[in-house]
Amino acid sequence: MTMASVTATPTRNGAALRGAVSNRSRWLRHGLLQQLAALRWGIVALIIVGWFVYYPIVDNLFVSTTTQDIFTGEVDYVGLDNYRRLLDDPVVWRALTNNGLYAVLSVIFQVFAAFVLAAIIEGLRSRAWRNFWRAVYFIPSAISTTVTGLLFYFIYQPDIGLLDALLHLLGLQNLSYTWLGDERTAIYAIIAMSQWQGFGYSTLLFTIAIQKIPRELYDAATVDGAGPLRQLFCITFPLTREMTGMMIIVTIAGAFQVFNEVMVMTGGGPNNSSQVLGTWLYEQGFNQNDMGYAAAIGVVIFLATLTTGLLQLWYTKRRRVEA
Amino acid sequence: MQRSIHSTAAMIAAVSVISMSWGAFPATASAAGDAPVADPAAKVDYSGKLTILTKFGLQLLSPYFVNVAKAYEAQHPGVKIELIQENDDSIKGKTKTLVASNSLPDIYFSWTGTWGENFIRGNRAVDLSKVIGPETEWGKTLSPAAVKAFSYNGKYFGVPLYLDAKFMGYNKKMFADLGIEPPKDFDALLKACDALKGSGVVPIAIGNKESWPLVHYLGQLLAYNVPTETLERDFNPKTATFNHPGYIAALGQYRSLQERCAGGAQVNGLSYQTALQSMSDRKAAMYYQEIIEFDQAATKETALKPEEFGFFKLPAPSDAKGSVTALEGAPEGYMVNAKAKNVPLAIDFLKFLTSQENGRTLSAPPYGQPSAVIGGADKTRINPNVAEGMEEIAKASYLMPWLDTVNHPRVAAAWLSGLQAFAGGSMSAEDLLASVRKAAAAAARQ
Repeated sequence: MTMASVTATPTRNGAALRGAVSNRSRWLRHGLLQQLAALRWGIVALIIVGWFVYYPIVDNLFVSTTTQDIFTGEVDYVGLDNYRRLLDDPVVWRALTNNGLYAVLSVIFQVFAAFVLAAIIEGLRSRAWRNFWRAVYFIPSAISTTVTGLLFYFIYQPDIGLLDALLHLLGLQNLSYTWLGDERTAIYAIIAMSQWQGFGYSTLLFTIAIQKIPRELYDAATVDGAGPLRQLFCITFPLTREMTGMMIIVTIAGAFQVFNEVMVMTGGGPNNSSQVLGTWLYEQGFNQNDMGYAAAIGVVIFLATLTTGLLQLWYTKRRRVEA
Repeated sequence: MQRSIHSTAAMIAAVSVISMSWGAFPATASAAGDAPVADPAAKVDYSGKLTILTKFGLQLLSPYFVNVAKAYEAQHPGVKIELIQENDDSIKGKTKTLVASNSLPDIYFSWTGTWGENFIRGNRAVDLSKVIGPETEWGKTLSPAAVKAFSYNGKYFGVPLYLDAKFMGYNKKMFADLGIEPPKDFDALLKACDALKGSGVVPIAIGNKESWPLVHYLGQLLAYNVPTETLERDFNPKTATFNHPGYIAALGQYRSLQERCAGGAQVNGLSYQTALQSMSDRKAAMYYQEIIEFDQAATKETALKPEEFGFFKLPAPSDAKGSVTALEGAPEGYMVNAKAKNVPLAIDFLKFLTSQENGRTLSAPPYGQPSAVIGGADKTRINPNVAEGMEEIAKASYLMPWLDTVNHPRVAAAWLSGLQAFAGGSMSAEDLLASVRKAAAAAARQ
């Protein structure tokens, strides 16, 4: 109802006018009440989100400009000292490198290799085999990271671990190695475990994306003489590009949040060689009693994940416009 | 309207966040206060809940506290005891989280040295001098050295529960088969390792995945190579220099030990428990262990039988410049939270915990923890090795504390990671000491 229609009615029928005005005021009252109710619940939600999400972030920023002694409760404001210390801390750079390595290898295995595997599985003629392989690859993802970390810790044990036993069985005992005990290999051993676990989940997401591609496209390509490789690059890859982009961003963000597997398998050792930002934060805060510095490391992790999060938002928005 | 709702909401959120953040500093800064002093004449109110944080979370040990708590509850029906059982590694993080959130239980576990000092510095422990000091009735029932280990600035803050020390456990049969005697000096130990290695067994199982086991080897070697007063000066970052040549000598001795007795750089890939298991499985001839692990290393169920298990003190080098009668070890015990609602009840429970009967139970299998209670070990019930180990502890001229709990956390971290690098071959002894000095200097500035 518009104002114009309301003002036109009095000349014809006063009762109708009164009714219309009454309806309008009821509608306005009702609408306003609805909006106020929505606002009330919105404020409640905002307070909860503010308390549990934004307050810790802001508080962490404050903490990162202090040194804190948790035993005495003494807090000293030190400005940007903790950030200057970050720049001079070789372990932070080591951790950043390890996180970066984690991200690169995860993108290779959990995005590109998982995509290829998903395409192969979906290309299988037998439905039973397709289901079987999907399950085989997905099951590791259903196990908790902590449990998997412990499992692989035993697999990697020198002399008594499953990996060493397998190498001996294959006559490759020369390759027997202290994978988690050597500074040069520890982080790679952890990343390998992580890929084993995450690979199946990515594969499953790609199979879902591939299933959405109309079968007619493949049939037409087959009629035109396109082989499986050509179909992979000319049909499957372009039509799952949105999922690929999303997976890359999610995988990179995940690589900067790694904690459990490193903590369980090496605790960041030997000699901090497998530290990632998360475990170094824990070490500083809870073992070295240096909460201010730990908070500064937390800010670095926050910035890394925020950047990937913004990229994700930008990417999804862009894709939505194109659609 | 839509825009105004958004603006209002944003303002409310901003105000909420700022106002909450505004209160952040006073909230964290208000933790400290004056530590209360325990009154020996205080009447105990046997009602309410008592919370206790223990370090007995391992499956074998956890029933001890559960049983003691049940017995106490049975004597005092109005009391309910809530146990938080952690293990050696997890209690470190858990305790600090509880401290940071001002949620320490009424009674909590503590090591001696800097670890315990932290609670006193923060006024988080009750001053127990009047109830457990050496001249008190209760204090006289406990090992004087153990009670003294919890004294800070002339006051007593902890209740020692058991004594702990490090010894080299060995397989008597393997030694006898090769005609090897328990070594009397460090060179003899290395020669024994050569003979054992020649026979196809691992001489000493070393597992340093957790990074603290090597600190124990080094602690004992430092006690042998560096004069005690120098060590104690170096425990304090403000007076530390770490320039005594004994440090390099001790590291060199450890290097020889690792190369001739253990699996070289792979020690970092094995866990402490896996290494212990290899001795129990008869795959290794020796294992450097705490006295509280004697009853785990050889049992009726393990390949290594209790009668085949022997131990000796890690032998000292012939040219030692420190104390050859020192032994690495320390008592471990409990403190009472300064903010506990019912301090007399907490003290009463600790008295019950350190009674003669509970001391005997703790020292006997399956626990095998040498109680700090004088006479708290019934020799007819306990493992003879544990009894003998306790005598060795009593004979020791100096108990060398664990390097990772006696030092400032930064210095401890430098020792822990540096020793892993040293064992892995990526850091020299000189570089390791340089990193420890650097950490001490940074800690002194804090």
